[in-house]
Amino acid sequence: MLFLNLSLGQFLGLFSAVAAFSVALYLLDRTRRKEVVATLRFWVVPGQPSPVTRRRKIQQPISLLLQLLGMALLLLALAEFQFGGRQSQRRDHVIVLDTSAWMGAQAPGAQVPGAAQVPNRPGATLMDLAKAGAIGWLRAVPSADRVMLIRADGLATPATAWENDHRNIIKAILESQPGATALNLSQGLNFASQIQKAAGSGVSGEIVYVGPGRLTAREANNLNLPNLPALRVIAVNDDVANAGLRSLGARRAPGKDAWDVLARIHNYGGSPRAVSVTLAFGNAPEGTRTVVIPAGGEQEASFQVNTRAAGVLDARLYPKDAFLGDNYAALEIPQMRSVHAIVYSDQPDRIRPALASDPRVIADFRPTAQFKAEAPKADTLLDTLLILDRFRPAAFPSGNVLWIDPPSGPGAGVIKERVDHPKEISWTPDQPLTTGLRVRDLQIDQASVFEPATGDMRLASIDKGAIAIASVSSDGKSHIVTLGFDPFAPALRYELATPLLLANVLRYMAPDVFRDIDVGTQSAGAVVSPVTEEQAAGKNSLQVLSEAGASLPFNVRDRQVEFFAGDASRVRVIAGNNERVYSLTLPEMWDVKWTPPATVRHGVPAWNDALRRSRDIWPFLAALGVVLLLIEWYFYGRHAAAGLQISRPKLEKAA
Amino acid sequence: MANEPLLDREFLERLERLTIHWQRSFAGLVGGHNRSRFSGGGQEFLDHRHFHQGDDLRSVNWRAFMRLDKMFLKMFQIEPRVPVRLLLDTSASMGTGERTGSSSDKFTFARRLAAALCYVGLVRLDTIQILPFSTDLREGKTSGGGRHRYRAAAQFLEGLESQGVTDFHKVVREFLNEYPQRGLVIVISDFLDEANCEKALQYLADYGNELMLLQIWAEEDRTPPWTGEVDLEEAETGGHMRIQVDEEARRRYTEAFDAFTARIKEIALRNDGKYAAIPTSLALEDAIFGTMIRTRSIA
Repeated sequence: MLFLNLSLGQFLGLFSAVAAFSVALYLLDRTRRKEVVATLRFWVVPGQPSPVTRRRKIQQPISLLLQLLGMALLLLALAEFQFGGRQSQRRDHVIVLDTSAWMGAQAPGAQVPGAAQVPNRPGATLMDLAKAGAIGWLRAVPSADRVMLIRADGLATPATAWENDHRNIIKAILESQPGATALNLSQGLNFASQIQKAAGSGVSGEIVYVGPGRLTAREANNLNLPNLPALRVIAVNDDVANAGLRSLGARRAPGKDAWDVLARIHNYGGSPRAVSVTLAFGNAPEGTRTVVIPAGGEQEASFQVNTRAAGVLDARLYPKDAFLGDNYAALEIPQMRSVHAIVYSDQPDRIRPALASDPRVIADFRPTAQFKAEAPKADTLLDTLLILDRFRPAAFPSGNVLWIDPPSGPGAGVIKERVDHPKEISWTPDQPLTTGLRVRDLQIDQASVFEPATGDMRLASIDKGAIAIASVSSDGKSHIVTLGFDPFAPALRYELATPLLLANVLRYMAPDVFRDIDVGTQSAGAVVSPVTEEQAAGKNSLQVLSEAGASLPFNVRDRQVEFFAGDASRVRVIAGNNERVYSLTLPEMWDVKWTPPATVRHGVPAWNDALRRSRDIWPFLAALGVVLLLIEWYFYGRHAAAGLQISRPKLEKAA
Repeated sequence: MANEPLLDREFLERLERLTIHWQRSFAGLVGGHNRSRFSGGGQEFLDHRHFHQGDDLRSVNWRAFMRLDKMFLKMFQIEPRVPVRLLLDTSASMGTGERTGSSSDKFTFARRLAAALCYVGLVRLDTIQILPFSTDLREGKTSGGGRHRYRAAAQFLEGLESQGVTDFHKVVREFLNEYPQRGLVIVISDFLDEANCEKALQYLADYGNELMLLQIWAEEDRTPPWTGEVDLEEAETGGHMRIQVDEEARRRYTEAFDAFTARIKEIALRNDGKYAAIPTSLALEDAIFGTMIRTRSIA
């Protein structure tokens, strides 16, 4: 005997209490029976006292026995009494419902064999087929078995707890929707197996995977399924034609105010397919490419978009197919910013070539006599650079300033001495302004040695002191770089250090302008972003930010930043001066179809399947108990006239 | 049930061929179809008076007219009509007995029986006086003059309720004081009272009334259905008796009841009356067309 809800001791104790109560009620009921009669005169035998007695005696033992038996059966039903041993216990099943992005594709004409409520309405998706399959399986499961639903896409998420009430499972199944990521089958099945083992009570039942079993190449290569003796696969037919965008990327065209856009299209069908890719920027068409993609193959279509403005690039795929989610991708490209350099110089031709080499720099040359110490506007503060070429202004300007070889005088840039042909120049390492500068025998005619103030950074030094310094304002928004020598002097014109130093200064003054921007649309899910070895080493400078600016967890491995985005959103990966924007608006798609092992059970259980055998006998026990109580009530209830048989001949005789 | 008539139309039509039957002859009990030893319908000469226009010519003394050439009218004293009196028990004990084998309690059955007898009498142009009683004799209802007076009598019966304690002695005393004329007295009752009703019934007969005793009893009055310990409560007095009922006790009870019934029957037969014991489990139709005809209470 096995009691699921009550132990034998508990059951016997409870039954004893109920039986004692019933017997007491029985005796009380029989002794306290009151009847209203027309007269009492015939009960009194003349000469004898009236027979007033109170015997505690069971007058109708069969009635009491029927009552006790009926209550015992009802108690057994409440205790969910079962015959047999462990094999008859209720089992714990887990449904792993595929909610990957591909489940949003329209369903083909075929349906899940044997499934209940198979949707045949127009527009039904693979998700609808999977729901029907899961519900069909659930209806074959005995009601006593516990079931848990796990939604599996890129992450396996439990949708319910262990539920005895299968209606809650059906509700959760019907509420399931396709996600944005591809199926991580290993994780889903491993999670189901672990949670089934952790359940403790009951016997492990089936783990049922419901879906088409489409995996990414990464998942297929790293497939690590647990050993599942009771794995059932309810396959969903997904034989539909589909071609979709795999990625949409944009990179700033070198030397131009333009973006190079690259779209990759994949054909998921079994036959070659010709598709047209249309690109639009700000709803203005930029071009259309028609590509023929072989079955299971991939093609690229490239575009060039000439713009400096920020906006949204739309890529659309025609004609429409079964899965609309990957026929459209939107890519948000940032504005191409530039730095405004105002050069006060009486010999602008010396500096002009160096500044004109970079299209991101807009130079404005003015004679030193026109210098006005105007404060730059706040919104242009970061993108404005003031270059003072070998003169000392009456009032020192605010903002970013590159001061080239200032003459001696009062105010900022206190010059200690003037040195001819300085030797052995040493560049201070680990400074962004001296990145790449190694040369020591720089041919400088004259250099001023500064008296650095507190907080000034030494950039270059000779044995007599610093010849290049940098300082940052107290609010950190403006920088001043003071060079004690003229990098544009004829002797230095052909030195590599000159453009390198200028580039470092420009990057230092306006880092956002000179950051390399590479934006791309990829699919949600696990994203891998390549970084350089230096960027990977400087983990503290790495940031992965969500659209709202929140930091996302990431991992750096093999010069790659790995992070996971479960929803379609925009993610920025910042590594030093490099910023990569991921528009994860495309759903993560599959590469291969999973072939289940041969030992796996398939489909919804048939009517004679062992799974369908219900081991519940409590409904029968309850019904039998009720029948016994009804019998007792019919034959021994108060309405029954005990021993009174009315027949017409007797009445006639009596009359 | 409260709005349903006591007797339906079909049953009333079947009653029209019946007659209330009594054996004795009573002065003034006319209009019925029973034979009487009093000739002339009980009329007695009282006086003469002058004839007036519109008087019945059959009452003119033609001999006096021939002799005196004047028209005199003979006047007769007419005996008052003595109605058939129906004493209906409305005590609380009549409200019992609905649970076992009968569709109604004794009181409802008795009212229906009274209504049937009233209709039979009205059809035969008898005058029926219904007198309900329990502790006292209550105000009655007299009906006569044909079947069209039945409705009023039936409404009177429908308005009665069973309550009070039966006191046959007091009731008979009041009856004899109020209605000294002899006649047919029909008593519909279970005859279950605290005092002995047999003496009271004998008084009623000794004063020259012909008794028709119709004893109404429920099946549980004769054969109690209970076994085990029972707390019995008397309907009229509220007296209690806690008793252990077994087969032997039930047998003794039935014997005592049968003996009581036999004594009631003996009183009726000893005084040239009629007696019928009618259980409520019998249909009223069977009771009238079977039991009462067999006992010649009606014919």
